[in-house]
Amino acid sequence: MTTPATTDQLFAGLSSFPDDHRGSPLPTWPMITTRIMELRKRRGLMVALVAVDIGLPAIYLAIRLIAHAVAPRSYGPAGGYEVFSNLVAGVMFIFGFIMAATLGATAGAADLNEGVFRHSVVTGRSRIALYLARIPAGLAIIVPIMAAGVVMVCAVCVFAAPTRLSYQGVTVPSGLSHTQFVSWAEENYQTVDCQFPYRGNASFIPPCGPFAGGGEVTITKGGTTLKKGTPAQLKALAATVANENYQTYSQTFLTPPLRLMWQSGLWLELEAAVGFIVGLGLASLMGSRTVPTVLMVILEIVLTPLLAVAHIPHMINVQRAVVGVATANVEPHGLPAVFGGQGPGANGMIHESTTWAVIVIIGWLVVWTALGAWRMATRDV
Amino acid sequence: MTDVLSEVAPPRGTDDSLAVETHGLTKRFGGRTAVNGVDLVVPRGCAFGYLGPNGAGKTTLIRVLLGLTHADAGTMKLLGHSVPAHRDVALARVGAIVDEPRFHQHLTGRQNLQILAAAREPAATARIESALDRVGILHRANDKVSKYSMGMRQRLGVAACLLGDPHLLILDEPMNGLDPAGMADMREMILSLVAEGRTVVLSSHLLDEIERTCDAVAIVDQGRIIRQGPINELLAGSSLEVEIDCDAPATAQSLLADNSFGATVTVLEDCLHVSLPAGTPRDVVAEVNRILVTSGVSVYRLQENRATLEAWFLEVTSRLGDTQ
Repeated sequence: MTTPATTDQLFAGLSSFPDDHRGSPLPTWPMITTRIMELRKRRGLMVALVAVDIGLPAIYLAIRLIAHAVAPRSYGPAGGYEVFSNLVAGVMFIFGFIMAATLGATAGAADLNEGVFRHSVVTGRSRIALYLARIPAGLAIIVPIMAAGVVMVCAVCVFAAPTRLSYQGVTVPSGLSHTQFVSWAEENYQTVDCQFPYRGNASFIPPCGPFAGGGEVTITKGGTTLKKGTPAQLKALAATVANENYQTYSQTFLTPPLRLMWQSGLWLELEAAVGFIVGLGLASLMGSRTVPTVLMVILEIVLTPLLAVAHIPHMINVQRAVVGVATANVEPHGLPAVFGGQGPGANGMIHESTTWAVIVIIGWLVVWTALGAWRMATRDV
Repeated sequence: MTDVLSEVAPPRGTDDSLAVETHGLTKRFGGRTAVNGVDLVVPRGCAFGYLGPNGAGKTTLIRVLLGLTHADAGTMKLLGHSVPAHRDVALARVGAIVDEPRFHQHLTGRQNLQILAAAREPAATARIESALDRVGILHRANDKVSKYSMGMRQRLGVAACLLGDPHLLILDEPMNGLDPAGMADMREMILSLVAEGRTVVLSSHLLDEIERTCDAVAIVDQGRIIRQGPINELLAGSSLEVEIDCDAPATAQSLLADNSFGATVTVLEDCLHVSLPAGTPRDVVAEVNRILVTSGVSVYRLQENRATLEAWFLEVTSRLGDTQ
């Protein structure tokens, strides 16, 4: 150590008391940026975040790209609408939440566990401000990583999309209007009548299988007779089938639509933000990193899927108050439901209105933030 | 300072010349009282030792002062500001190490200081280099703290304290983990900080270091302050010990016992041990020698043992133990 007289003019005299609103609950910009640095320098955690949020879909897509390049007849294109929607709703939603919660738990409890929080407290800075600085800091890390993952998935799914649309196993031109779709069906009436699902008149048999040529079935006491259908009748049937199928067809794309991509991106960011903030609050409340992380994993992969589809008598509103159920109910149209089925409300998944879902999500964010802040403000350190 | 510290009785009123001032400060953990009605006064601009056996409540009192835990009763002021009401203002010019300095292991020393400086005023960031230089670890500032020795962490802890340009430093066992050279450096730095007008409160069990560094001390035991004041005044209340090596110890013992010094004389295996009451002037030692020599006792060696803080501490704490 050296004497102050020779090295340090900064300590030449006693400074006056600073007027920097140190008791304010609002964090300063330097507090946020240094907290970002503290989290960013956790190499293991950052590697895990990137590996799961970007690496996992990247590996999946890379395998599909290679498989399609090697054996295109056996393996379909790596990208496309279906791959996108399944990756977003099936992988990134759940794992994004878990990794964000892990980051939140680290941000909430690491400096407590490492005994560093007290050094920050003895600066006189508001404990609330010290806590709140972690929210923008954590979001500044998790949001770009998730965004990078989404952009990568979007890029592959767009550029490696199939060139022909396969609908019900039939190659159909993509992007047809309703009228164009009906016209196309009339031109390909035999394929449409046989391949597309139809819930209409059961007495008219499509021209396939044992009823080659198809036609109108008449059942009498003497038996069943088949009056062979004319081409006009079969075209009319194809038009009817096409009308029935258009809505589903119109939601089937070669590439994910731009609107769906950015909506999905925002939805995943919302899920990650919820995971981070709830993880942060829970870890700050418990003063531990591991247990909250485990609890968040259980919530996301065990409790939420169960509560999203189980119809428990008198508990329906409690189930709706689970944040995972709420975020699943605000997923963009065009994605398969994260917990099964074809979308919110389908396949037995508990439905809740968008308004109620938004209230639930905001409620979780506010309550867990408040609980974490309260505990950090009152905790003995 | 001496006047203030001489008062063992509870201080009354408030005084901005005090760095630390507590009245009836109490902290309980369940049924155990860790800090029991502490009245402590630490004047500004001195090095103040805070001594006590393990579990006496030293660290708890520091934690209460710094707002790391709440007090159950009593009032306190730091640098003239009431705490916790004006904790933010008071702590702006306080630097503290509580327990052992702990840092983010995955960050460098400099990065750790950047985090702590960010919680202070903007000027604190500008002090990082100077603080690192001052504690002698500027050359290791870019190494991860996980690679630091305990002594280097202590130095980094002191550097963290300096970021706020503190008027008051509270250092809990700052010598822990330091080698002799490091302890000498730390001592020198503490003295230089005091020379700048800062107040340093040292909590330590290294009595010799406290005696070399501090102007005044308080002794705490079982949550209560049992003595506080300037070291020289406190030691003046200790007995004066004299060792005598002579040819006739038994004769010498009877000669000294017959005098009115109030001496307690003990014959040991190889010498005579004379304990004179507190406040005995040094001239009495010369008088002891004169009595023995004029009585025909050959004195080969006569050694006055100056009262040390350690001896006084043990005397005070053992006396306390006797009464309990």
